Amino acid sequence: MTEQQFGRDMFADFDIDDPRFNEHFTDVLDAFVSKCPVARSNVGAGYYVINRYEDVRRAGQDWQTFSSAKGFQPNRPDGVPYLYPEESDPPYHDEWRRVLNPFFGPRAVAEFEDQIRADANELIDGFIDKGSCDFVADFAAELPGRAFFKNLVHVPVEDLPMLLQAMDNGIYGPVEERAESFAKAFGYLGEHLAKRRDNPGPGDLLDVIAAGVDKDGEICPWEDRVSIITDLTLGGIATTTYVMSGAIHHLATHPADRKALAADPSLLPNAIEEFARVFPPVVALGRSVTRDVEVAGTQFKEGDFVLLNYASASRDPDAVENPTELDIRREGVVHTAFGVGVHRCIGSHLARLELRVVLEEVLRRMPEFEVAPGQEPKYETGVLRTMTTLPLVFSTDAAK
Amino acid sequence: MKYRVDPQLCVGHGRCWTVANTVYDADDEGFNNSKGELITVEAGLEDTARRGARSCPEGAIEIFEG
Repeated sequence: MTEQQFGRDMFADFDIDDPRFNEHFTDVLDAFVSKCPVARSNVGAGYYVINRYEDVRRAGQDWQTFSSAKGFQPNRPDGVPYLYPEESDPPYHDEWRRVLNPFFGPRAVAEFEDQIRADANELIDGFIDKGSCDFVADFAAELPGRAFFKNLVHVPVEDLPMLLQAMDNGIYGPVEERAESFAKAFGYLGEHLAKRRDNPGPGDLLDVIAAGVDKDGEICPWEDRVSIITDLTLGGIATTTYVMSGAIHHLATHPADRKALAADPSLLPNAIEEFARVFPPVVALGRSVTRDVEVAGTQFKEGDFVLLNYASASRDPDAVENPTELDIRREGVVHTAFGVGVHRCIGSHLARLELRVVLEEVLRRMPEFEVAPGQEPKYETGVLRTMTTLPLVFSTDAAK
Repeated sequence: MKYRVDPQLCVGHGRCWTVANTVYDADDEGFNNSKGELITVEAGLEDTARRGARSCPEGAIEIFEG
C-alpha cells in the first residue's frame, strides 16, 4: 500500500537510510502512526521500528528489556567502539550520568549564554551585509559546535569542520566507511583528552571524564573515557543544527509566526518545544531485546533489534492534538525529541538555550527573511536527520 | 489537589518546571526537586499543575484531585 505512495513498502520492508524515507519523511511518519504500530526492516540482519508514543515510551523506560548495550544503529558496523553512556545500560550508564549531569543542568548551562550570543552575532556578522546566506553552512552547522567546544570540552574551533565531517560520515555515510570515520573522531578526541589527563585542570567536565568512573569494582578503561567525550561531541555538534534550521525555514515561510516571535520573544520557549517536536534531529535510536516480549501485537524475541521512533511518536494524535500542524502557541507541548527513559538527551537544556539565543538574535538582526527565490532546503536522514542547505535572502537595512 | 513525581520515572526533561514554574521546581541537574513526596498544590494553581503534568514525556507526574 505504501509502495505506490513512497516507492517502497515502508511497513514491511523499511530502510531508515533509504533516500525515499528522507524525501517523504513526515508522510511516512504519519502513515506509521496511523496504520503501522510496528514496522519491519529486512536490511542486513533485519530490525523492527516501534512507532507510537505510548509504545515508544514504555520501551524507552524499560531498559532491562530494551537494552542499549549493543548500540543504537541497526546493523552496527564492526569495529566501532561503543559510545558511552548512550550505548550502555545501568548501572554503568548511571555511574557516568551521575558525574556528567551536573555540567549539563539548566543552571550550569545558563553560564554559557553570553558566549553563545557572541558567537551567534559573529556568525551573523559574516553575512549580514550580503543580504543572503546559506543558513545551514553559514550558521546552523557552526553554532552548536562552537557552543559545545568553547564552553564544555575546549577543543579548538578550527578543528570543528574535520570532526563534523567525520561524525557526519559515521552516521550518514556508506555503511562500509562508517567505522573508519568514527575512528578518526575517536583518535582526535582521545589525544585531546590525554593532554588533560597528563595536565589536570580545574575540575571541569574534561577532568571528570579523564578521571573515569567505577566499572565492576575497578576504574573504567581509558578507551571508555575517550568514548564518553566522543559521544558527547557527536550529540553536541551533530543534532541541534536541524531544529535550528527547521525553525528558521518555518519562520521564513510563515511570516505571521515570524512577526509574532520577533515582537514577543517570551513566546520562544514554547515555540522551541514545538520546533523540536516537528524537526527532530534524532529520528530513531535502537535497542536490543533481552527477553521475548510483545509490543502492539508484534512478538519480539531475545536478540531482536528494534528502533524507537522518536520522530513518529511526537506526531501521535494520542499524545498531541492535530499533530501534523506546527502551532507555536500549542499548550504544554509533549514530544519525544530528547528521547524517553534513562537515556534522555544529556544536552537537552543546552540545546534549548542555544535555540532561544539563536532565534532571539536572528529575529533581532534580520527580522525579515525568506527562502531565496527558486531555492529550497535539502535534507539528509538516517537514525539522525539534518538539513544540508537553506538558502535565505533578507533585507540589509534592518537592524544591524 | 496534590501531586507526586515518581523519582524512578523523572529523568530531568524539565518540562514541568518550564511549563508550570509556579507549581514545580528543578534541582541543579534539572530534575524535579520534590523527591517523590506528596505535595499539595496551592489553591488557584490547579490548572497549571495539570498542564505541567500533561507535558511530562515520561508520564512521571500523578495528580490527585480533591
